[in-house]
Amino acid sequence: MSAISVNGLTKEYGDVLANDAVSFDVEAGETFGYLGPNGAGKTTTIRTIMGFQSPTTGTATVLGADVRDEAALVEARENVGYLPSNPGFDETATGMEILDLHASVKGDARREELLELFEVPVDRKIRGYSTGQTQKLGLVQAFMHDPDLVVMDEPTAGLDPLVQQRFNEFVRDETASGTTVFLSSHVLSEVRRVCDRVGIIRDGRIVTVERVGDLLDRSGKFVRLGVAGEVAMDDVTLDGVHDLSARPVEGVAAGAPAGGGSTVAGTATELTFTFTGDLNALADFVAELDVLELDIEEAPLEEIFIRFYDDEQVSA
Amino acid sequence: MFEFAWYNGRRRIKGAGALTVGLGLLTALYVYMFPTITSEVNLDEYAESWPPALREAFGVESLSTIEGFLATELYAFGWVILLGLYVAYSAASLVADDVEHGRMDMTLSLPVTRSRVLLETFASMLVPVFLVNLAMPVIVYVGVAAIDESIPVADLVMVHALSIPYLLAAAAVGLVASVTFDRADIAQRAAMGVVFGLFLVDSVTSGTDFSWLGALSPTRYYDPAEILVRSTWDLQGAALLLGVTAVLVLVSRELFRRKDIA
Repeated sequence: MSAISVNGLTKEYGDVLANDAVSFDVEAGETFGYLGPNGAGKTTTIRTIMGFQSPTTGTATVLGADVRDEAALVEARENVGYLPSNPGFDETATGMEILDLHASVKGDARREELLELFEVPVDRKIRGYSTGQTQKLGLVQAFMHDPDLVVMDEPTAGLDPLVQQRFNEFVRDETASGTTVFLSSHVLSEVRRVCDRVGIIRDGRIVTVERVGDLLDRSGKFVRLGVAGEVAMDDVTLDGVHDLSARPVEGVAAGAPAGGGSTVAGTATELTFTFTGDLNALADFVAELDVLELDIEEAPLEEIFIRFYDDEQVSA
Repeated sequence: MFEFAWYNGRRRIKGAGALTVGLGLLTALYVYMFPTITSEVNLDEYAESWPPALREAFGVESLSTIEGFLATELYAFGWVILLGLYVAYSAASLVADDVEHGRMDMTLSLPVTRSRVLLETFASMLVPVFLVNLAMPVIVYVGVAAIDESIPVADLVMVHALSIPYLLAAAAVGLVASVTFDRADIAQRAAMGVVFGLFLVDSVTSGTDFSWLGALSPTRYYDPAEILVRSTWDLQGAALLLGVTAVLVLVSRELFRRKDIA
């Protein structure tokens, strides 16, 4: 059974179509990233599957419960954790009072363990919390009843890099122990680190749903190639080259000692492109050049993301 | 059960305590002034010169007895207007303020029905309503005794007991506003506008051909002067107010259940 199943979900706010026939499934036990730029409709989907608003048409199920059936959804929520973007808490209460209230309706088997991990100043009033501290309190309440499914909207917003890293490790551990995680983000590098699959949404419509690995394979490699002499764009006859750029640079002699000083003034060219073809063909191509520098990296998800949007915009 | 009622109720104790202290001080001032004023001015002659509508608005029956004086100066103003507006205003923020500040998402993500959240949240309004009405009769009784006057205990108890349905009705008006609007300040203004508007309708139309309009106002069914000066207890009116409260709360619950939380 899917942990979340979204079927033709459409949500209109007046004239604005925030979600347009959105469909995807989140399998039990996986970590699913819901990606899109701000305003794409991520939060609309999340708030609908949490039951805060009703779909205009279509529906979704959460742990088998239809989001339009309040009684079923309430029962399912006993096993659901939720972290909104910018979680709102009663500012006059202390973190402990909030956790006590939540615990009284959903349980708190893991509260102590999580408080040790995320270090929330629970004895202070929430009014005095920083954004990061509020976010960490939100994380603790989302996981403290040991839910089967956790839904998080932009979970790492406001966390400093160190805590972000701890969060990523934590999510990986949770998934390993069987928890299903659904998280939205516009920061692609963070999704890539923790998610098994991603769904990309743009202007309220799902653009693609696929495994992060497939997305990276399809997206290919980012290649930066420094070669001696002048190379024109037309000289690059390789299949699978995208976004090629060539610019003349000051050449550095191959084999020159590191540390500069012996820079040989001469003509050189820096080629950058995204490569989705056969790597052997790339190797053959490179072998015929006088290579000064060569970097091959996984294409950043941001690039793929931009390509998806650009392609869509061209065809739209 | 009742986790939200307890939680919200506890957080209202401080405010309700401050309100009680404030009203207690106002009462002490009125009671302390009473002998001085009555020895210098005949308040009834003075009130005769008021326009009838104004006398009606403040329930002026007799200003020269302590009962009549308190009915007009303390209860008509302090209870019917001030407390009525206060509970309407407070209740108006019950839902709208949580929605506006994103706290409602957090609450509704818990395994609880909207119906339960709404009813328990409204129940927290019982804290100020009961706290004020439990403490104030004692303060009034002691104050009146301190100036060597007396007031019938039964009437004093009833003027407070019968104010509870009135205040709950005002709070229910606030609750309807609170589920209707997504911004607390708009809900608060709407609730206070309705409660004060109905009070005006009742007092302005009184004694005119349009007095039937005043039947729409909760103020028609709670008259402190009737209770304190004439010992007339409008139990039917109180029952009607409780009924209206129940209807408004159920309407709010229905609106809240269908609402898209913004």
